[in-house]
Amino acid sequence: MAVLPTEKHTSPATPHTRGGFGGWLLDPKRRGALLVTPAIAILFVMNIFPLMWSFGLSFFNYKASSQRVPRFQGLENYQDVLTDDKVWERFQTTAIIVGSSVILQLIVGFLLALLFAKAFPMRRIVLMLVLTPMMLSFVSVGVFFKLFYEPTFGVVSYVLNKISSEPFVMLGSPEGAIAGIVIADAWMWSPFVMLLVLAGLVSVPKYLYEAAEIDRASKWRTFRTITFPYIKSLLLLAVLFRTIETFKLFDIVYIITEGGPGSSTETIAVYLYRTAFQFFKTSQSSALAYIVLFIVIVLTNLYLYAVNRRAAEVD
Amino acid sequence: MTIELKKLTKRFGTLTAVDAIDLNVGDGEVLCLLGPSGCGKTTTLRMVAGLEFATEGDVLLAGKRVNDLAPRDRNVAMSFQFYALYPSLTVAENLAYPLYAEKLSAAEISKRVAQVSKTLQLDGILKRTPGQLAEGEKQRVAVGRSIIRDPKCFLFDEPLSRLDVQLREEMRGEIKEVLQDLSRPTVIVTHDQLEALTMADRIAVMRDGRIEQVDTPHNVFQRPSNLFVAGFIGTPQMNLVPATLKGSDGAGIAEFAFDGGQALKIQVDPAVSQLSPGAKVTLGIRPRNLEICQDPVEDSLSTKIDMVEPMGAETLAHMNDGYRDLRVVTDWRVPLAEGDHVHLRFPPGVTHIFTEDEQVLRSAT
Amino acid sequence: MARKHREIGKAGWGYTAVASVIGFIYFFPVFWIILTAFKTRTDALAVPPKLIFTPTFDNFVSVFYRASITTGTSQATDMGLYFFNSIFIAFTSVGLALIVGTLAAYAFSRYPLRGNDTYLFIILTTRMMPPIVVIIPIFLMFRLSGLAGSYWGIIFLYTAFNIPFSVWLVKSFFDELNPEIEDAARMDGATERRVFFGFCIPQILAGLSATFVFGLILTWNEFLFALLLTGVETRTVPVAMARTLGGEVGVDYGLLAAIVTLFLIPIFFVTFLLQNQLLRGVTFGTVKK
Repeated sequence: MAVLPTEKHTSPATPHTRGGFGGWLLDPKRRGALLVTPAIAILFVMNIFPLMWSFGLSFFNYKASSQRVPRFQGLENYQDVLTDDKVWERFQTTAIIVGSSVILQLIVGFLLALLFAKAFPMRRIVLMLVLTPMMLSFVSVGVFFKLFYEPTFGVVSYVLNKISSEPFVMLGSPEGAIAGIVIADAWMWSPFVMLLVLAGLVSVPKYLYEAAEIDRASKWRTFRTITFPYIKSLLLLAVLFRTIETFKLFDIVYIITEGGPGSSTETIAVYLYRTAFQFFKTSQSSALAYIVLFIVIVLTNLYLYAVNRRAAEVD
Repeated sequence: MTIELKKLTKRFGTLTAVDAIDLNVGDGEVLCLLGPSGCGKTTTLRMVAGLEFATEGDVLLAGKRVNDLAPRDRNVAMSFQFYALYPSLTVAENLAYPLYAEKLSAAEISKRVAQVSKTLQLDGILKRTPGQLAEGEKQRVAVGRSIIRDPKCFLFDEPLSRLDVQLREEMRGEIKEVLQDLSRPTVIVTHDQLEALTMADRIAVMRDGRIEQVDTPHNVFQRPSNLFVAGFIGTPQMNLVPATLKGSDGAGIAEFAFDGGQALKIQVDPAVSQLSPGAKVTLGIRPRNLEICQDPVEDSLSTKIDMVEPMGAETLAHMNDGYRDLRVVTDWRVPLAEGDHVHLRFPPGVTHIFTEDEQVLRSAT
Repeated sequence: MARKHREIGKAGWGYTAVASVIGFIYFFPVFWIILTAFKTRTDALAVPPKLIFTPTFDNFVSVFYRASITTGTSQATDMGLYFFNSIFIAFTSVGLALIVGTLAAYAFSRYPLRGNDTYLFIILTTRMMPPIVVIIPIFLMFRLSGLAGSYWGIIFLYTAFNIPFSVWLVKSFFDELNPEIEDAARMDGATERRVFFGFCIPQILAGLSATFVFGLILTWNEFLFALLLTGVETRTVPVAMARTLGGEVGVDYGLLAAIVTLFLIPIFFVTFLLQNQLLRGVTFGTVKK
């Protein structure tokens, strides 16, 4: 941490003549590296170093709540985690929520994008209504839906009770709770998919649609042969991005169901939180965290691959 | 089948892009809309296609008013400036695209595609996608896609503008050949006069949303009807020299006074006798028609060579006598040196005369 | 003259009406919360839910002031402090991250660094990483160093949290500038400092402010770090909201809705102002158009 202030002063100055250490440091050859250093340094202190630490911890049997001297136990934690049925259950829950939420986001986002692809009066204002959810905090969204699902006076429960004769408690059953979380998350992030699809839609040159109109192509053929190829790569980006993000799902679950009923909505992030901060199984949770990190790195690589492919396409 | 435009007008807000134009294109005729950018030629074409609404006036295709029809209901074929090839489809699929609407059998479609690809020599590239094509190939595919069916008319928006000079020359010939076989009215929009002069049966020269002249390529060049057409058609540009009429003899020999005091007798159109002495006129003469004399002769303009540009077989010389610039094109063998004093003669019958309202003065033929 | 068809891609007021209805349905959850904020406790709990009622500002007042049971006088709640914390922490950390991030972004955009791509990948991964993964060791680190519950701790953490995002986003703005202009300036003898401050920064000022505002929103909304690493003095609004929700004697939804509504107000403005940059912001610059 002590390195930081000294390096901050030395950003883009260029006295070529200065000798000694200062001169060495400010050599134009090192300018790029120098500019990057503060950012990397902070990330090192706050991200990379802690990760290395927890990597180390994952090989011990450390518990943050106990004073016992931790003992090295090799890969035992990893073995425990990977053979734990509970962990696989949480992964499964996460996969179900991620899968359904991302699919729902794709459908809704896509339809919204088609709606807003046209230029119409006051479009900007109307678009605002749809874009707002994405900018809200998870906690606010959790509060909205908690209020909606509230069994006695929640709007959703009220409407559902009107339809079916049996009283319905949305968050009472595992399926209902998962649906409740998926709906909240998809509601919040469909606008994101919409934005990406919209970007694809506006990138289609207008003259292609004009040509299709002259060529008397049907609406479906126009969509299939012109529109879809243009949004294909962005849809892939949307799926990957949203998968990575939904994979982290914590706040909404924490607020709406706290993982319940039972552990039916406990995503891997919530489970990690529990293991680390309620049961204080620090080492074990570190091991699991590393497995999660590995998955995210793989997904991030895929995402970057998709970004680069799209960039090549746009050129 | 014909295209008829009646008092066709397009306004974008306060800007009038096309201003009440009347135009007829006959069956099998190739008409070029020629003009500088922003003159409304593309807008006119798009109104014929239905991609743009007419603010006022009518578009008639085959005698039927089509103002309110969508492009798909007008049955027109159009090739776009940027080709508008469908990027995800192969060349063959691009060619077949307009045929799907006609509910043809697969066999019929492939027969037609084969036909067109033979005409335009696309056989080798049918499996490629537009991204893998060279500019000239893209252009041929675009043309192929528009001629593959039998529409009411053919529309081409700047068909050659994206090609380099050499390719453009080549394609001009090819397209001309294709166009000659089409038995439908055809409209080509271009800003390139060479393209218009070589490909069109008639040319409509446009400026600021109006048609300045509609005529055969020959007449547009030889008999420009006003100052704009005179200056726009032909390279190097026609010399346009302001002068004052001193008098004329009724047979077309007239004497003009130029700025700077020189006066000379030039044989122009006999209609010059309609003007009274003292009238301000503009004389127009093509650079190739001016004659250079090394020695002063009667009725010649003495001037100095400012700059010499060799153009291969010919030489372009820029003259300046302190009052006006003149361009002269001569055979490359005529020795010209910058700084030389020479004399310019206006041969009989090649000088156009424009009155103060910029219209040509010419006796009816 | 009636039109039988429209020009491609354009629509009229009828379309606006349809889109507005759909937009409103989509917006309904937000609308409902705002409505609830103006309801009395009885109205908020009414079955069937009430759409028409007499609005009251009581909830907003009780966000900040609470009638004391013993003395009967009103007394300030801690909510004012939490709002201050949210604002102070967000502005400071996002500001710091923007400065540091801009320098790095400039380097990534202009200097061919050895291992450039690796750095960028690490930076992106730290952003994609689930916060829960880093929080475990950070929590231990903060506990050992005594940073837990202090302003400095959380500000420093949020700075780190915002750097990857700032770097990627600002880099995407730098990438769009034409480096020839900078080279021309260098040819004319401008120092590197002048090229950076005199040419590059002014040109991406709009982008920098967009980045700043996006960072503010991200930080403003952040929950998990704040939940684990802020103390009574440094608690932010999302944590306070979650705690209100977990209240013992039944949740006061009117009060909660009022807090959420107040918390939403800046978001509305920002969403409207940044509409054109939104896509770039939420994908941190990896998708531009």
